[in-house]
Amino acid sequence: MFDELKEQGMEKLAESGLLERLEKLKKAGMDKISETSLPQDLRTVRANLVGRKGELTEVLKSVGQAAPELRKVLGQAANEVKEILTQAIDQKNEELINCASCFEGAADITLPGVDFTSGGLHPITQMCYDLNDAFRSLGFEVFSEPEITSELYAFDNLNFAPEHPARESMDTYWLKGHDEESGAKRLCLRPHLTGASVRYLQQHGAPARFVYPGRVYRNETTDARHERAFFQYEALIVDKDFSFASGKVLVKTILDKIFGMDVEVRMRVGFFPFVEPGFEIDMRCLVCGGEGCKVCKHVGWIEVMPGGTPHPNVLKAAGLDPAVWSGFYINIGLDRLVMMRYGVDDVRLFHSADLRFLDQFK
Amino acid sequence: MKLSLNWIKKYVDLPEDLTMEKLTYDLTMCTVEVEDAVDLADSLGGLVVGKIITVEPHPDADKLRICTVDVGDMAPSTIVCGGINLTPGQLTVVAKPGAMVRWHGVGDPVEIKPAKLRGVMSYGMICSSGEIGLEELFPASREAEIMDITELGAKPGSPAAEALGLKDIILEIDNKSLTNRPDLWGHYGMARELAAIYDRKLMSLEKSDLPEGSGDLGIVIENPDRCPRYAAITFKNIKNVPSPFELKSMIWRVGMRPINLPVDITNYVMLATGQPTHGFDKNHIKGNIHIRTAKEGEKLELLDGEVLDLTTADLVIADENNPVALAGIMGGKLDSILEDTTEIILELANFTAMGIRRTAKRFDIRTEASSRFEKSVEPQRIDVAIAVAVNMFKEYFPESEIVGLVDSYPLPLKNSEVEVSLSFLSRRLGKELTAEEVIRILDNLGFKTEARDGMFHVTAPSWRSTGDISLPNDILEEVARLMGYENFDFIPPKVVLEKPINQRKVEMERSVREYLAFRCGMQEIFTYPWIEDEYIEASCADTSNMLCLSTPPSPDESRLRSTLIPGMMKGVFTNLRYFDSFRIFELTQVFADKNYHSINDPAEQLPEIARHLCGAFVGPDPRFLFRQAKGALENMHRAVHMEPLSFAQVAARPLWADDKLWLNIMYGEESIGCIGLISLRSARKAGIKRSMTVLFEIDVEKLLPLASRQNRYMRLPEYPCVDFDLSIVFDEKVAWSDIYETASKVELVKEVRFIDEYRGPQVGEGKKSVSFRTRICSNEGTLTSEKIEMITKQMIKKMSKKFDGNVRGA
Ligand SMILES: [Zn+2]
Repeated sequence: MFDELKEQGMEKLAESGLLERLEKLKKAGMDKISETSLPQDLRTVRANLVGRKGELTEVLKSVGQAAPELRKVLGQAANEVKEILTQAIDQKNEELINCASCFEGAADITLPGVDFTSGGLHPITQMCYDLNDAFRSLGFEVFSEPEITSELYAFDNLNFAPEHPARESMDTYWLKGHDEESGAKRLCLRPHLTGASVRYLQQHGAPARFVYPGRVYRNETTDARHERAFFQYEALIVDKDFSFASGKVLVKTILDKIFGMDVEVRMRVGFFPFVEPGFEIDMRCLVCGGEGCKVCKHVGWIEVMPGGTPHPNVLKAAGLDPAVWSGFYINIGLDRLVMMRYGVDDVRLFHSADLRFLDQFK
Repeated sequence: MKLSLNWIKKYVDLPEDLTMEKLTYDLTMCTVEVEDAVDLADSLGGLVVGKIITVEPHPDADKLRICTVDVGDMAPSTIVCGGINLTPGQLTVVAKPGAMVRWHGVGDPVEIKPAKLRGVMSYGMICSSGEIGLEELFPASREAEIMDITELGAKPGSPAAEALGLKDIILEIDNKSLTNRPDLWGHYGMARELAAIYDRKLMSLEKSDLPEGSGDLGIVIENPDRCPRYAAITFKNIKNVPSPFELKSMIWRVGMRPINLPVDITNYVMLATGQPTHGFDKNHIKGNIHIRTAKEGEKLELLDGEVLDLTTADLVIADENNPVALAGIMGGKLDSILEDTTEIILELANFTAMGIRRTAKRFDIRTEASSRFEKSVEPQRIDVAIAVAVNMFKEYFPESEIVGLVDSYPLPLKNSEVEVSLSFLSRRLGKELTAEEVIRILDNLGFKTEARDGMFHVTAPSWRSTGDISLPNDILEEVARLMGYENFDFIPPKVVLEKPINQRKVEMERSVREYLAFRCGMQEIFTYPWIEDEYIEASCADTSNMLCLSTPPSPDESRLRSTLIPGMMKGVFTNLRYFDSFRIFELTQVFADKNYHSINDPAEQLPEIARHLCGAFVGPDPRFLFRQAKGALENMHRAVHMEPLSFAQVAARPLWADDKLWLNIMYGEESIGCIGLISLRSARKAGIKRSMTVLFEIDVEKLLPLASRQNRYMRLPEYPCVDFDLSIVFDEKVAWSDIYETASKVELVKEVRFIDEYRGPQVGEGKKSVSFRTRICSNEGTLTSEKIEMITKQMIKKMSKKFDGNVRGA
């Protein structure tokens, strides 16, 4: 633009020195704008350059004192400079806002996230609820009975021989004041869950399909593998002429839920007073896939639970005719399952109330 | 229990192509759990027979010898050895260089290498019996004795296992799986089972000609209910000598220590038939043998040296004067087979399980005999055992003579009989069976089956008649297990869908747990139902209606909880070692010695059983902890679908609670629990230091689940509402509930919410500043600033007039 004016031979313009001032101002202004890196600095730059009290305003004031024939040209030139600078500032401002932060100071993005809850269910409760969900989807009811029961329900009904060792105080926690009693009058902390099955059948009759998880008690010396209070999960189906070969559904429901995959199982001979025939149920070792390893003692199978058809004497005690009804029980130690599932090495931790342990299952 | 496969094979001809894997698998699936099958030769791997040719002294060591030994190689080997019984011509066991040897018969094999011993190269090692785990079979009489097998006459270089006749496989059976199969506690019984599984012929145990007459011995069974049968054979011309190697080896392999020939024979009889036997020295038995209970004050020294103080509940074998054996468990030391015994009374008796089990438990003695009798052995087995015993004595003591046999059998056992139909078996097994199939299987197992009118009349063999077989289901099991459980296809059960399962109480308990865990940040804990006296005392719990255990886990844990507070205090105490603030809860059953009732059988009277929920909030600020715990309860009803809980001081303060912070928890009009800060006294008694603890406990049984969700939708306000906050200084006596009530009544007030309270020098002694937020809404239009100001002023005025409250800072 200035070159054009010069070409038009307007020598006087150059003489006034104003054009040089404008030229300088523009160059210095552009440099300043490109140097600026903070929005607040840019605001100062804007004020200094094109603001009401800025340098350009000063130049424009001088234009008024210039020769009248020059005023128009000079005014035009000054406004052009103002426009160029303003545009550059606006553009710079846009750039700065695009990459600006809402807050001042640095931030450490590797700090941990905030934990919203600090609570949780006991790992055994969790496992129990998982299994309840699986069984309820198959139409099973969830049942429970008092933890205090009688010899009648703990042993007599379940076909335990009168001299069965489990009845002795070495094994079962009998209540004080009942030592001389027997049967329905002799009370104890329940030594297993199976007694509850007779209670349910007496109340609801057959056919029946139910689970009854809970805590049971044994008078034992405790160590890393033995506890006096522990949890079991038991399920029972009773139906007309229910074949033991159908009992596998209970086993599969539990194991598939716990291990999250199709687990191969086998049923072999086992003896328990309340079942006939009785089974030990094994699952294919998941560690070695059946090849044999330390975990499965080199047999490829791991014993996971007992099961079997309710003994006719148990069905009779429940008021059912064993010639008509049969069914299938399974009973699994929840403590042991949870230990297997998570690799817990001391069963006593479950009743320790120790948050350092429980916290790990949230 | 250990069984020798060679021994089993004496009685049954197993299929030739039967592998060990198959045998252990089949036995595990059909009968008992085989825990392990150990190849004996394996434990002696790498060892060979060596013949010592020369023995020279070592030039540089007094205790060492330099031997040349023929180990079957081209030239004899030089072996340096410290044995003291090295003799030219002697046969011994040698570990050659390169051999992998399991020291003491166990552990990982170690390679033998040539080594220089005091300057002389030794190519291998001559073994002592202890070094290769055979000390019981070849006891060394002195230290540093090498194993001498000259009497076995084997070829140098041949494998030691072969020379020793130890090519055998030992089956280890899980004893638990044998519980109801007393017939399998011996080699003959297991052979019989395998014969049935593989449909092979079982050899019968040869009978023996038995002498007539009892000699001069009489048997008096005073307790036939505990001893249904007692037989005694008297042998004369017996010597206490060591057994020949073959007999020693047989009983050693299955885990028994060879002792002397007469004793080894008694053990052999037991291991073969499962019938325990015992030998008495005839010269020590005065008069008749009495099977009776012990008398008050009687003592008995057992074979192992332990002296028992007998009780009148213990059954003993006695002569005219004294007990000579603890019946069915262990013989007496003074009257059993001794060094100078020449005449033996061999006992073959039957004892019932319960008495044996009780006495064994009382004295804490477990023997091979007691563990067999505890499983109920049938008295008929004595017949076979007598035959085996007589044959053994004849074979090993050819010059012996039987001078008498007495057999008292007052209570003969009847064989079990069962009626079962083919259709029952087919239906319950989910598989069509044929009569021939069933009869064949039962016959193989020794059951007699008569088929008539579609029914099988089954008679169990005597060895299955001690309680194991009595019902159709028992026959079903026999048939199914021999057919192989794997051969039954899985049949999915038929599911009949009737109506959805609706168990509100079950669901409510779960909702409570999940609400506390996931919304209130509490961790579920489990504690024992027996509570420690220390925490009962700390919680001032009433012990008068607590139930007690007869044999508690420890003397100070005899009481069963009627409240969860003591256990929770212990839980708090335990965790304060590692954390200073946390929240825990427990929901479980509690018991009380009252309100006895029946839930099934009217004869069964159960004590009061309730389900309680107990929680603890632990941290530094008691007032805040109290509000947190209260909030957890206050907000529970929505998550759990029940009527809300409320709070009041209606009953007496719980004894463990601080007087300033406690409330009863109300459900409708009823108090169902309480919440409070643990008092200074209780906290000290429970060892709870530094942190504060607020506890609550409610009776969950009292909560009634609602049929469905109950809250309703409320329309959103048409015009915007406005909030304003006030901080007002009140006297300490003014309660928030009163402030709230008054504030709520101010014009247009929709909601009043507590923000916080402040106590301190800025508001003065006996005063507190309470901040709260008020929300006002109008249905008529947007609130003007004049209107808002007017209501704010009105609120301040009300607070001042009613409670003498002043705006803070004003
Ligand atoms: Zn494995």
